[in-house]
Amino acid sequence: MMLFTQTRGLPVITAEEAATLGTVDALTIDARTRSVACLRLSGAPKDRAVLGWGAVEAVGHDAVIVRSRVAVGAGPDEVPEHRDAVGSRVLTEYGVEHGTVKDVGYDPGTGKILTLYTALGDIAGDDLIGLGTYAVVVRAERH
Amino acid sequence: MITLMLASDLAGREVVTLGGDAVARVKDTVFDAAAGRITGFTLSGRGLLAGPLKQSLPFSAVHALGPAAVMIPSAAVLDGREAVLGSDAAGGGAVIGAPVITDQGTEIGTVRDVVVEAGTAGHVIGFEIAAHDNFDARRRKVFVPRGQTLAVSGEALVVPARARHFVADDLPSFGAQVEAFRAGARLPEADSPPSGPPDSDIPVSGEGDRA
Repeated sequence: MMLFTQTRGLPVITAEEAATLGTVDALTIDARTRSVACLRLSGAPKDRAVLGWGAVEAVGHDAVIVRSRVAVGAGPDEVPEHRDAVGSRVLTEYGVEHGTVKDVGYDPGTGKILTLYTALGDIAGDDLIGLGTYAVVVRAERH
Repeated sequence: MITLMLASDLAGREVVTLGGDAVARVKDTVFDAAAGRITGFTLSGRGLLAGPLKQSLPFSAVHALGPAAVMIPSAAVLDGREAVLGSDAAGGGAVIGAPVITDQGTEIGTVRDVVVEAGTAGHVIGFEIAAHDNFDARRRKVFVPRGQTLAVSGEALVVPARARHFVADDLPSFGAQVEAFRAGARLPEADSPPSGPPDSDIPVSGEGDRA
């Protein structure tokens, strides 16, 4: 498992040219698939600033590897609007506050969101319902 | 455990979609004519200077009423104002301030607020009453469960004279009492919750019902 905070700042390097495309600035979550949709890069040309998850070969502790500049292309066609999950307020579907997201753990192989870490306890990635401008909404036990 | 909330506290609460976007704030809570259920909410915008919205939120479209937010499936469930403010809007809106009268004909106070249950049902659980001295000299405000009321209209709330035995001082102890009431347990003659503030466990039993 990798954390969002570990991934931010990693260089993105192509495997074929060993060229640096930029560094990871943020990860965008697709709440419907509960997985990472794309990486946003800093230090990259504007039209290459979004890197679709499909182009990522590997996420390691020291770098994100993509195959080649060509494989990255012009980025994914359609990406969900970026919302910063880390720092966002957490609400259950019953309208109860559950702290804020401290960090997000994800599977570096598949991009699946595994865990949302909050000060009030961990939330399984499968319980993620929505991620909007106001809050992260998670499934909750009825009580 | 049931979570109770005052209707007045709902004003200003964020209306949030399950997608995580805040779309409005609650302006007013609208009850049905008998004040048994929440019919819906009128809405205002979210900005500092935002005024009332033309849209309203029927309670049937609410996913859950929570302590931090009113959750809705999506912004598409918001409806026109007339969906909530029907023809009997006046009857539903004027519960607060209505006099509280016992079935013996004594006015014991006025309705200060409406207690509703968190969750999906939108049931009115009881009423917060600003009590007159002749009902309870020690306390200014008391809670009466809705099950103990006889009738509610925009004009008055009629409660049994023995409703004094079912009052509570604060919302948490009221919640415990309502749960006991629902569990079929006979409510104690005295309203002495074990976890209330120090001055709340003065028993009021033995005073006899005032006619």
